[in-house]
Amino acid sequence: MKDFRIDREPRGSVQLIRLGGSLDMYSFPRLEALLNTIFQEKQYYIVLDCRDLDYIGSAGLGALIGFAKQAREHNGDVRLLNVPDRIYKIIELLGFTKVLQVHNTEEDAVASFQPR
Amino acid sequence: MGETSKGISVGGVGERVYVRVVGRGTFQNSQPLRKFALEKIDQGREEFIVDLGQCQGMDSTFLGVLAGIGLRLRQTGRVATVHVVNISSHNLDLLQTLGLDRLFIINSDTLSLPAESDCRALADTDLTHAAHALDKDETTDLMIEAHDNLVQADERNASRFKELARFLRDAVERRHKRAGGSE
Repeated sequence: MKDFRIDREPRGSVQLIRLGGSLDMYSFPRLEALLNTIFQEKQYYIVLDCRDLDYIGSAGLGALIGFAKQAREHNGDVRLLNVPDRIYKIIELLGFTKVLQVHNTEEDAVASFQPR
Repeated sequence: MGETSKGISVGGVGERVYVRVVGRGTFQNSQPLRKFALEKIDQGREEFIVDLGQCQGMDSTFLGVLAGIGLRLRQTGRVATVHVVNISSHNLDLLQTLGLDRLFIINSDTLSLPAESDCRALADTDLTHAAHALDKDETTDLMIEAHDNLVQADERNASRFKELARFLRDAVERRHKRAGGSE
């Protein structure tokens, strides 16, 4: 089992968070704490880069929807980037892709928050 | 020695039902375990041994299915038990976080376990292949039931999983509306 890794890399007003390893009930509180910190800073444009994620649990996905809702209340969102195929198939099957935007490039994900 | 295949295997030790989890226990391989366990309970089996010695981790759905086994056994009114053996500190932490340690007997070291050769693999539980066998509606229903079990086992789990529960129930509602619309 790979250790969970989390790194925050702001891109202007967008908060890029790189995730690696396993995002499960054991590791999720670390992401939860970081998202709460970011919200306290009144930053609500969040991109989660999942490229190095090898696992995400069902409860973690559910909690992400809760964070996305919180962000949307402030005209922001939580969006996913570089979701590995194996994980994408699962989140698509369960319908999570209907409520969480998924992007394939960092540029697209960051630009999706810019006013058109 | 050959590598033990990942997934869930089952066997028997006398009247006890043995379940071994190798790799991860997740919503992707929970359904076959649920069906197997309910069948055994209906057949009158009262004691389960869940061996987590090679389990790398469990998600809430899988834990909810395990909780469901414990809860169903309680409902039988018989003296029924789920033993969880060889559990790692990581997995024990998960059980304790969700209050499931009160539902199971943890690490009973006096139990004899069957040899690997006396167990059989439960179909569709190797996660390398399980994703292809999943049915969306069946999986959604399973996840709802599993998280209901977790709440039944410990009320504190209601707030922990409220967003997931809401999302899943919305999905079921949409399904019913679609089914109603197609009639």
